[in-house]
Amino acid sequence: MISRKPAARILLAAAMLAAFPNLCKAQMSHQHASEAACEETVLRCASKVTPAFAPDGTLWLAWMAGGQISVASSKNQGKSFSAPVQVTRDRLNLDWGPDARPKLAIDAKGDIALAFSIFRDQAFNGQVLTTRSTDGGRSFDPPKPITANNESQRFEAIGFDPAGAVFAVWLDKRNRVPAQQRGEKYDGAGLFFASSNDNGATYSDARMAADNTCECCRLALAFDGAGHPVVVFRNIFDGGVRDHAIVTFTDLATSGELHRVSRDDWQIAACPHHGPSLTISPEGTYHVTWYTNGKARKGLFYARSRDGGKTFSDPLPIGEPSRSPSRPQVIAGPQGLVMAWKEFDGQKTSINLMTSHDDGATWSKPTVAADTTDSSDHPLLVTDGRQTYLSWMTKAEGYHFQVIEGEP
Amino acid sequence: MKRRFLAVLILLATLPSALAAGEGAPKPFERGSWQKLLHAHAGHPTLVHFWGVTCGPCKVELPQLGRFMKDHPGIDVVTISADLVPNLPEATRSMLDNAGLASAENWIFGDGFAERLRFEIDPAWQGDIPRTMLIARDGTITTIEGSAEIADLNKWSDAQAAATR
Repeated sequence: MISRKPAARILLAAAMLAAFPNLCKAQMSHQHASEAACEETVLRCASKVTPAFAPDGTLWLAWMAGGQISVASSKNQGKSFSAPVQVTRDRLNLDWGPDARPKLAIDAKGDIALAFSIFRDQAFNGQVLTTRSTDGGRSFDPPKPITANNESQRFEAIGFDPAGAVFAVWLDKRNRVPAQQRGEKYDGAGLFFASSNDNGATYSDARMAADNTCECCRLALAFDGAGHPVVVFRNIFDGGVRDHAIVTFTDLATSGELHRVSRDDWQIAACPHHGPSLTISPEGTYHVTWYTNGKARKGLFYARSRDGGKTFSDPLPIGEPSRSPSRPQVIAGPQGLVMAWKEFDGQKTSINLMTSHDDGATWSKPTVAADTTDSSDHPLLVTDGRQTYLSWMTKAEGYHFQVIEGEP
Repeated sequence: MKRRFLAVLILLATLPSALAAGEGAPKPFERGSWQKLLHAHAGHPTLVHFWGVTCGPCKVELPQLGRFMKDHPGIDVVTISADLVPNLPEATRSMLDNAGLASAENWIFGDGFAERLRFEIDPAWQGDIPRTMLIARDGTITTIEGSAEIADLNKWSDAQAAATR
């Protein structure tokens, strides 16, 4: 009799576990398998957070949490945020890959273009969806595919050009099936692009800038002084070498010549899940950071081009090689260039920063800006034209947005 | 009475995981799993394959590994899904089944802090998949980045067999 009461209680708990196996699973993934701290759609539960400043200085965040995309804005550089607005409604299988995240861009009127990828089937074929808000982010159109083609697409990047058109670029597998039908081997994916003159409500027909590029790394997009899109991506050069390439577009509908950023000689038939970063300084210099594990060099590197991407400086190694440096970002801010990347010492992930005040000729010593002892998003850099900020989502501490103080 | 409670309790407690995961579901690969794995296979030639359901080259290589396992019963074949897309056990299991790898020793990353898991395996590994580690009887590890050539695996396997004679 004495044992009955506790036994009954345990029995109840066991019965509950049996009846709600997902409860148990959700708890488990919450604590261990998930990169997120919680399962709701709020910012605190996000695994990926993307910041963007509007021309009026409003900071916007788009994030992935609880299987949905949401946005919120801040008028005080991230000290407080507006009530979140959920962009997606349906239960979508969002692309949670290490290099995937929602992208957003805001024009001078405050209209918002937003894009993200989903897995649209059980075979993990991707689809790029876009939406827009024309009421200052209070509501978003139902997301729709960026292209009518139904082959796998992933890793979109979007931005407003100076004239107010949205330019979008992504990786697209549409050439795989025709190649296979011709009995040819098809490697990687095509780099496709389109533009929109109605803030992302409709996009032009997709065109290809390059075929057989690496299919699983994020793209880097920036606009040069004349407003031409510039895209850096991991290409597949002859012999299956996955080194970086750059294209400067002639206009929103015309791709340009492909140039090589660096000869790292990384021959690998794999998904590195580790894309590049690009910024263009007021001097017109292209600044690129990337990861490679090539025969010529291994690790994170920086190089710059002062001739519009035709030739690049010798790659400069970034970070402490014994601490697995990763996810390099570079941005041209009002006080010069800032670079951020992750390092991991076996226990702790730290965000390291370097700055340059001579357009990338020399760099400061690295400093640690933040750290965490659990999973975290990539460090991202963003500027409002007055200051440069670090944006970083961590599972343990939540969202982190801080001013990067200029070096003396 | 107590014993009967216990039996029901055990049955009920094990039921959900059996229902949710099914037999042969990949085991969660957590902190410390790598050392346990190395220890468990010490002295046996072992092929450890890292892959993921969203990785294109992996989809091509997985069935080749399934055939390799069938042809080389003397090699311990271990797969570890290192993809970070959540809620994957179902898709992972179905791809392993289709590739003929259901009976291999299968794991799936079970810790969101993947940097730490990767660091325990190889501090230089940044997460690119596929990746194969060939562990010889004496513990020597050969790492193949990207898709492995089956001819290279056969050669390694033959060398392992020769080493026992």
